[in-house]
Amino acid sequence: MFFLRMAFKNLTRHKRRTIITALIIAFAILIYVMTDGLMLGMTEMSFDNIINLESGHLQVVDQNYWEDRKELPLKNLITPSAELEAEIKKTAGYVAMTKRLKFAVNLNNGIDELPVTGVGIDLGQDDKVFELQNYLVEGRMPEADSSEIIMGAKLAELMDFKTGDYAVMLIRTEEKTFNTIDGEIVGLFNTPHPSLNESNVFLPLSTAQDRLNTKGKISHYAVRLSDQNQALTAAEELSTRLEAPLQAYSWKDAAKSLVTMIEMQDIETQVVLAVILTLAAVGIINTVILSALERMEELGMMKALGMHEREIVYTFMGEAAGIGVIGGIMGIIMGIIGLSIFNINGIDISTITAGGDMTYGFPLSGTIYAGWEISSFIFVFIYGIIVSVLASIFPALWAARKDPVKAIYHR
Amino acid sequence: MFAYLKKRNYINLKTILIAALVSAILVSINLSAAAQTTAAQNLSADEIINRRDENEYVITAYSEAEMIIKNSGRSQTKTMRSWQDKENALAEFTNPRDRGTKFLKRGDDLWMFFPQAEDLVKISGHMLEQGMMGSDFSYQDMLESDKLTDLYNFKLLGEEEYEGRTAYKLEGVKVPGKEVSYYRRVVWIDKERFVGLKEDLYAESGRLLKEARVLEVEEIEGRWYPVHMVMENKLRQNTSTEFIVREIEFNPDLPDNIFTLERLR
Repeated sequence: MFFLRMAFKNLTRHKRRTIITALIIAFAILIYVMTDGLMLGMTEMSFDNIINLESGHLQVVDQNYWEDRKELPLKNLITPSAELEAEIKKTAGYVAMTKRLKFAVNLNNGIDELPVTGVGIDLGQDDKVFELQNYLVEGRMPEADSSEIIMGAKLAELMDFKTGDYAVMLIRTEEKTFNTIDGEIVGLFNTPHPSLNESNVFLPLSTAQDRLNTKGKISHYAVRLSDQNQALTAAEELSTRLEAPLQAYSWKDAAKSLVTMIEMQDIETQVVLAVILTLAAVGIINTVILSALERMEELGMMKALGMHEREIVYTFMGEAAGIGVIGGIMGIIMGIIGLSIFNINGIDISTITAGGDMTYGFPLSGTIYAGWEISSFIFVFIYGIIVSVLASIFPALWAARKDPVKAIYHR
Repeated sequence: MFAYLKKRNYINLKTILIAALVSAILVSINLSAAAQTTAAQNLSADEIINRRDENEYVITAYSEAEMIIKNSGRSQTKTMRSWQDKENALAEFTNPRDRGTKFLKRGDDLWMFFPQAEDLVKISGHMLEQGMMGSDFSYQDMLESDKLTDLYNFKLLGEEEYEGRTAYKLEGVKVPGKEVSYYRRVVWIDKERFVGLKEDLYAESGRLLKEARVLEVEEIEGRWYPVHMVMENKLRQNTSTEFIVREIEFNPDLPDNIFTLERLR
């Protein structure tokens, strides 16, 4: 293990150079850890928003409805029944369920019209599955069977509505006939889910059913489970017990486009990391070449005294690995500090998007917090060391293959 | 007359025949005239609507029209030409801003072609509820071509003076189970000319949604036809759309394959 000791001595011989090279790696790791943490935080928060405000853990829907649910059709609705509810209640980890009816609305303030999504909610049950009422910033929830409505504060601002105003909602019944609901705005909410704030109006389920002539039908059941990780298996299991065409979908199905987007983002992060670490690798190559040039006579002497080429290469590789370890440790310490700052203070999303909400991609608004994942730390640490070692191989080979005589003369 | 002829014992078969024929024709004319006047007095609500529709809804036509869209003080004018037959219609905008924008209606489907993007879009779902080219006519309004008396139960409310003309006032309520946009419509129809003068369209909740008024009618090729009308969306203030027919030709020869998607591009 002579060469390892040598490598260690060489590292301590040029402390400043070692630290500076290690810093390059440390920064690369810091950037990766921060990006990854931020991504993870955004992903978790987006999923939470979808679960807590949009879909619940499970949705029980007619599968024909599911296909064109974005169109908010009034076809293929579900007729609620005690048997169906009893079946849903048997699901492992069941906590609560609620009924919802979604429909297309043209919201009208007398001057402009805006297409939004109307959601009829079962007021006694909805808060057991969803967290909407926690985000009320003004007023209160509608009363059951009334034509009171609540909407996002953002939407209200856009349409110039205040609490107490009446909003005319132009809708089409099941038979495509126009109908209107004069909804009294009794509350405004501001959720961390931007599209909810901008384009959703909530009203009592019975009122919606009555005006849409859906005769007690709903578009879906939303179910809350005790653990979000159960959702996938629970959805499969429940689907087998439901009569066709009914089917249970997990929140992951509901957020399919988001899940795909996050997967793509993940690849993007990896590519960024690869680029940054390549730059770090260039730094390492540079350092190794420098130290090799500096130690040319020394190397020539060692070779003349019978040291193998292989051992010289190992020495340089050990040195590089050392730099990788030092850089990795520094990077992870910096990363932990950086992420802690992120986690304690959070970052206001409006500073990233110059004052606005994110209008695409993540369903997020307000302050975001980074997430932690121990595996990403381990991964980037090992990755850093491997890159350092690999970067040192070629310059080390170049140095080791020098003819001892030429090396000693340094020509 | 016959007695006289018999008396004179002068029977000319030819004279008799002619006389019989003439009197038969006269009687039938008198009868039909009588029938017509009584019918005009006791037309059922459905008959009034159908007579107006026969008058206004042309089967095959070529027309050039102008649309003036007013929205909170701003006004824009669009011109278009259109061809139609029983099932299909094609409209092409000719004003500079929208030149080349085309709409094609085939049965229950509606397509739109944007020349700049060379893009063909099928208008469906809730897009159908938007106003066509920013006007107060929705795309859906353009698509409803079924016979009104099949979709609505009409009732004659009485006769009323409207803008100096005597008009029938009728109310139509949606036939349960039919897919139509407006739950109830109140129509004023000119008693003599059988041209619609005004129409109010209501939502199921009873709210007035749209009001259409005919400002000018003209006699074209023997029928009275509304050439200038205005549509107001009653849910929005200060908006209206005027529709002026500049030229219309009934039963023209339409170019072959004019109502195909290939021709739209």
